[in-house]
Amino acid sequence: MPSSNPLPPKENALFKRILRCYEHKQYKNGIKFAKQILSNPKFSEHGETLAMKGLTLNCLGRKEEAYDHVRRGLRNDLQSHVCWHVYGLLQRSDKKYDEAIKCYRNALKWDKDNIQILRDLSLLQIQMRDLEGYKDTRYQLFMLRPTQRASWIGFAISYHLLKDYETALKILDTFRNSPMICYDYEHSELLLYQNMVIQESGECEQALKHLDKYSDQICDKITVKETYGKLRLQLKQYAEAAQVYKELLNINPENTTYYARLAEAERHTKPEETLAMLQRYEDLFPRALAPRRLQLNYAIGDEFKILVDRYLRRGLHKGVPPLFVNLRSLYNDQQKVDTVQSLVLEYKEALKAHGHFSDQEKDNPREPASALLWTYYYLAQHYDHLGLTEKALNEIDAAIEHTPTLIELFVTKGRIYKHAGNVQEAYKWLDEAQGLDTADRYINSKCAKYMLRANLIKEAEETCGKFTREGVLAMENLNEMQCMWIQTEAANAYKRLGKYGEALKKCHEVDRHFSEIIEDQFDFHTYCMRKMTLRSYVGLLRLEDVLRAHPFYFKAAKCAVEVYLRLHDEPLPDPTQAQEIDTELVARGS
Amino acid sequence: MSINIRCATTDDLLNIQHCNLQCLPENYQMKYYLYHALSWPQLSYVAEDEKGRIVGYVLAKMEEDCEDNPHGHITSLAVKRSHRRLGIAQKLMNQASRAMVECFGAKYVSLHVRRSNRAALNLYTSSLQFEVSEVEPKYYADGEDAYAMKRDLSSFYLEKNATKEKTNKDGNTHIHTGRCCDRS
Repeated sequence: MPSSNPLPPKENALFKRILRCYEHKQYKNGIKFAKQILSNPKFSEHGETLAMKGLTLNCLGRKEEAYDHVRRGLRNDLQSHVCWHVYGLLQRSDKKYDEAIKCYRNALKWDKDNIQILRDLSLLQIQMRDLEGYKDTRYQLFMLRPTQRASWIGFAISYHLLKDYETALKILDTFRNSPMICYDYEHSELLLYQNMVIQESGECEQALKHLDKYSDQICDKITVKETYGKLRLQLKQYAEAAQVYKELLNINPENTTYYARLAEAERHTKPEETLAMLQRYEDLFPRALAPRRLQLNYAIGDEFKILVDRYLRRGLHKGVPPLFVNLRSLYNDQQKVDTVQSLVLEYKEALKAHGHFSDQEKDNPREPASALLWTYYYLAQHYDHLGLTEKALNEIDAAIEHTPTLIELFVTKGRIYKHAGNVQEAYKWLDEAQGLDTADRYINSKCAKYMLRANLIKEAEETCGKFTREGVLAMENLNEMQCMWIQTEAANAYKRLGKYGEALKKCHEVDRHFSEIIEDQFDFHTYCMRKMTLRSYVGLLRLEDVLRAHPFYFKAAKCAVEVYLRLHDEPLPDPTQAQEIDTELVARGS
Repeated sequence: MSINIRCATTDDLLNIQHCNLQCLPENYQMKYYLYHALSWPQLSYVAEDEKGRIVGYVLAKMEEDCEDNPHGHITSLAVKRSHRRLGIAQKLMNQASRAMVECFGAKYVSLHVRRSNRAALNLYTSSLQFEVSEVEPKYYADGEDAYAMKRDLSSFYLEKNATKEKTNKDGNTHIHTGRCCDRS
């Protein structure tokens, strides 16, 4: 609705320029034009101009003045949709979403078909997960702009999110048959989204039919096949499912899930069958890691011994540092642990005596000298895993004596000490490792972590600083980059040192990252409708719904809870520690 | 379990960011990872260990400015030092490249690498057929030069067509000729 206080043509032209300046982020010019209107005594209290001036001031960081202007403007013109919309935008920029929604609703009272306000409202509703409200708004937008793609998509998604699959699918079907879609990738994504909705409605057979009908129009072949596989398994069409997983394995023989699904489709009842299947794949893809490694999970007894012997020798011969890490998950089977241990001990003796993995091979060419090194290295990690610190240290020392320059050895030595509870000695070895390759951030990070475990916060910061932007404090840069692990480790170190304020500060920094990531959604509400990447978009919404369930959040929250409990049980009485409390309040208040 | 290599989802992004922060000096805020996952959901891949921890990832995108010559770009590639020499990086790159061809008709893929990063240079040139296309002086924040590298992806088209023929002969019906895939 027009304002209750319309401007004459000259001022009205100026007002339009304010709007344009706002859209083009020319805030200073916007203020200038606003002043021109307001300096005329007849319009010095003009509501919409005051509101727009306020909104512009807000963009210049002058928040208090902004609120003053916008509120004054609104008071002067309560029937203006512009004033209400502006007040809503201001609140939105302040993240007061509930308040902003109220303002938008008031604005719509005076201009119920205003597309821009409806769009802004719909964004807040989806951000706040007001799904019913979102649906209503998307319905209005759809009715007002039925020729726009986003109208259809938003309308369909709103029903999908409310689990009204039938309506969602009807909308999508009609939309797909309209001429609004052209680009293949978008069409392909839309089809996959539609299939996702069908699947979620529980209609496996319908989903399969849909896929049969449209799969040649979908360019994402992996998703097509994965969906086929999943549906055929659900529908117990095992032969067809097996075929699909074979095709998938031809494309990616390193996907362990595909092997598990293929075993399921082939109706394996005994581990021998899966083992045989994996052996076939090893022959088919000799360079693939997964089929060789997975066999070790299924084999037992002598068969396991043969396979793991081959696996270990290959790794030790070639010098594969992650050999142990890669086998570690077998260690919950004591028999397998015993087999591995006796084999590797045998290698060690034979390699030391004559450079072969076993006495039977004395006539063969010798193994490379590094084979013994990697054997020591393996044994060190093996014993460490079993909690046999002394044996682990003996092996790692033998390795270091063999090759004094290999960084991995120092890292492992540090880790052995860490596992044994000696944080000081642990960090010293990591520092040593870090000194040998200052260009590797992984080692640098590990070293910093170990320093923090030893409560050496300053040292850790200095270490990290080698990889953060120059001219900025390391911790500041890490905070900017949302480096949560270090903030959580630092928080725990501060907690151990009794610096509770500092500890809480770090925990709250982590909390803020999570708030930020929830904010990050905002732009994608519109972006994804344009891009048509709707499956991922729905994935994002669902991720954000449970974002704080992530272990990073849990760890930081646990630390904060412990500190707060401690402060509750034993409040800091000493006034000399008042500073600590201050920092704590700052952290809490922000 | 063994290392699992699969397409990344939005659920992986926090863990990818974590892996990136541990391994590389070039870091990004979560929004940039979201931008990748929500623009080109097929292109990024992860390697995870048996506990579901990300031990390596490739973060990839399409360059949007050149419609007649579509090409992909590797934003970031990392494998934890604790999982090197298993061939993970190569496998991640090949999956991402295949997806670029399949979904977006990419002709080639490009990337930047630090001049001093010999291990990476070696991987790109000898295992992945990348070639240096130019040197970009002071590309990195610390002033180091970058090699801009390119890899021609036409072999992936051949491979795709070969698979198509092979499956057609076998009478299997689930490999299709989407319009977008036939730009080659």
